[in-house]
Amino acid sequence: MDNIEPPLIKRVTGTLHPINQTKDFLLNLLNQFGFQEVQGPEIESEEFNFDMLNIKKSHPARQMHDTFYVENKKKVLRTHTSPVQIRSMLKSKPPFAFSSAGKVYRKDDDATHLPMFHQIEGIYVDKDVNFANLKDLINKILLSLFGENVEIRFRPSYFPFTEPSAEVDILSENGKWLEILGCGIINPVVLENCNIDSNMYSGLALGLGIERIAMLKYEVSDIREFYKSNLDFLGQFK
Amino acid sequence: MKFIYQDLLRFLKEQPSKAALSEKLFQLGHEHDINGEIFDMEITPNRGDCLSLIGLSRDLNYFYNNEDPFEIYNDNIDLLDLDFKNLSITSCPKITFLEIEIDEEISSYKPYLENYFSQLGNKKTNFFSDISNYISYERGQPTHCFDKKYITKDLTFTNKLCDESFKTLLGKEIQLEGKNCVFTSSGEIISLAGIMGGESTSCSENTREVLVECAFFNPEAIIGKSIKYNLKSDAAHKFERGVDIEAQEKVLRRFISVVKDHAVIKKLSMKTFIGSHFNKKYLPIRIDKVNKILGTKISKEQYISFLTKLGFEIDDEIKVPSYRNDVASQNDLSEEIARIIGYDDIKSIPLNLKRRSQLEQDKISKIEDFFIDKGFNEVINMPFSDIEEKKSILIDNPLDSNRRNLRTSLKNSLIENLLFNERRQKDSIKLFEISDVYSNEKKIIQEKRLGIIVSGRCGHNHKDFSKKLDRKYLNDILNSNKNISVFEIEEIPRENLKTKKKDKIFYTEVLLEDIPEAFFRGHKIKEYPINFIKYVPVSDFPSSVRDFSFSIKDFKKYNTVISCIEKFEEENLKDFFVFDFYLNEKLKEIKVGIRLIFQSSTRTLSEEDIQMSIGKILKPIIDLDGVVVPGLELN
Repeated sequence: MDNIEPPLIKRVTGTLHPINQTKDFLLNLLNQFGFQEVQGPEIESEEFNFDMLNIKKSHPARQMHDTFYVENKKKVLRTHTSPVQIRSMLKSKPPFAFSSAGKVYRKDDDATHLPMFHQIEGIYVDKDVNFANLKDLINKILLSLFGENVEIRFRPSYFPFTEPSAEVDILSENGKWLEILGCGIINPVVLENCNIDSNMYSGLALGLGIERIAMLKYEVSDIREFYKSNLDFLGQFK
Repeated sequence: MKFIYQDLLRFLKEQPSKAALSEKLFQLGHEHDINGEIFDMEITPNRGDCLSLIGLSRDLNYFYNNEDPFEIYNDNIDLLDLDFKNLSITSCPKITFLEIEIDEEISSYKPYLENYFSQLGNKKTNFFSDISNYISYERGQPTHCFDKKYITKDLTFTNKLCDESFKTLLGKEIQLEGKNCVFTSSGEIISLAGIMGGESTSCSENTREVLVECAFFNPEAIIGKSIKYNLKSDAAHKFERGVDIEAQEKVLRRFISVVKDHAVIKKLSMKTFIGSHFNKKYLPIRIDKVNKILGTKISKEQYISFLTKLGFEIDDEIKVPSYRNDVASQNDLSEEIARIIGYDDIKSIPLNLKRRSQLEQDKISKIEDFFIDKGFNEVINMPFSDIEEKKSILIDNPLDSNRRNLRTSLKNSLIENLLFNERRQKDSIKLFEISDVYSNEKKIIQEKRLGIIVSGRCGHNHKDFSKKLDRKYLNDILNSNKNISVFEIEEIPRENLKTKKKDKIFYTEVLLEDIPEAFFRGHKIKEYPINFIKYVPVSDFPSSVRDFSFSIKDFKKYNTVISCIEKFEEENLKDFFVFDFYLNEKLKEIKVGIRLIFQSSTRTLSEEDIQMSIGKILKPIIDLDGVVVPGLELN
């Protein structure tokens, strides 16, 4: 009788949401590369969300069908985390390296897009920052994320706030290229908007969709799974 | 934009394979898919100049040398007599009109024209509109054909306030509102400029005399209208991205050549109206600057060769081609150079950025880890809510008119999450969410809040199975230190919730700033490492629960029973746990209760499936002497 012990009670822990796990992982990674985290509001002015980032009044992203407007069109739900960078650049003198991560909003709702999702961005401004430096940083980040054997491709792209701009793909196991992030050399117009002398300083910027990285890392095929709050789903990410 | 591989080859002196062409297009930044002979392009919005065969061939010139293989009508053309007024030269600084009349007979389409319809799946409408559509594909410049017999009087272009209805050439009636660029004749709107023509002046199969309009519209005057009126058109797509302000006459001369390929021309006249002159763009030659931006060491010869091949004219300065609306700075030129070198061929240079030490655990991380440690799962919810309060922030253009407010509390989202999981047969629910919420009380207020909700059993083990998640449970973990009690716990009544469950629901929400550091004292906060597990898709099929109680008379077998339970494994067994343990010393009997939860990822399990699974799982225990499961009969 003395040998009878009740069954062991396993300690059951909960889970941090997989999007926040991925966000923390990426923030830590950028932190290790020298980026300091900054934060900002989700309700933004058009000035910070668009104008300062060289997104012209006529840009399609500013239309009512792409952006959520609030307070009688006086403000927007930020469409990216870039206004956080603007706010930080206005308060700082180069050199600096900032990262920002959080919720962003776009007027989309289908199998591959949600009206709310998460982004993480990094900017670095200093003397003589160039595209070759950007490539080095991106390569290191992607190697940390996807392993040493990952094959990486840089493609020209277009973002109003960077020039040159690039999109970066990795080669998946099935031989298809998968878009991972956008990046570029900060457009001098943006630096000047933030009172930074673009003749003296240059900068690089990169941005990733956190859901996209989480989907790839965890092999989740439907983005909507993240927001059903299903315990069978959430409980797996321990 | 789609194009036929062979069509593009006509514009290239060298003839790359599909694979080689695809590689160079990617290198230049032109993403695409290939389906057979068709390239389906995704051109970035700054490169409106590449939305045509000739545009793409210009961009590929460095690699494959481009040429214009088609005849351009080069004879003198009479000056068109047209009563035209341009009342908005900022919206339309340049416009050319061509009047053309043909004989009755139209020959069958030449292969270059026929393929545009047959291979790309475009729909033929009438001779002149077909040519107009083809020309846009070949040259990137939209044109619009008015049936000349309907343009008998004056023609005016204006950007004016409109409040009338307009019927498009596709027969769709739209209500115009606000300012619109329109063509009018005798005061009647006959075309929504740059978007779509009107039905009243549209061409038909019988049309033999047309007035072709070919314009440069300022993108800012056109943008947004096609989406506003739900009129998707190739013209709007191109004008929004900018066309070549110097191309109009040449495009119309090519239009004439295509007409001439298929019909006898009886009459021709053309006239260009220039409202404001285009200022050619010049940039200084700054090879040093480009190398500084890119981190490269390209020579002057390479610099000149790259840019010249892209159509830039280089003398003392760099003259930007009229079709390159996107190039205005040294950074833009750097991108041009980089595209030709190939982004992948620019060598990386290590960044001189000082690495930072590991991030310290901040307050949010501490809270997260505290609740994870206590078995809570974190959720993230959308902020859109149907609840309107005085302080709610209203979304001007919501996706769903029933959810037009930003939530001012996390409570309702968490109640929805709880009910969702209850519907999926979850009987022990502990959730938390940390999020900013926004309200407007004279100014926009941003607050970071923590919401916690619980209901059901305390846990899935023999000690907690019968205990309920209640006010005491929450108080014990949240308000154990009376001096720093910040959590007010409320019971959420079930009356107004669509649920038959009876378990009580408890909820609490606090501002993060109200949680003092002292709250974490006395709690060991373990940091949970991030582990990228491989996710197993969640089954949408119902689960089935079966409970069993083992009666163990031979105590020597107890450890074997427990060991068997720990090894339970079966295809349809989703979860299992011991929910009861009782040692009856008087009767010399041990009772062990287990719960088995079955669920398939591919189908609804039948009773037979479940019985088969139970048989496989329990057999090693049943086979033990001195262990019985009362009521269990295995086949």
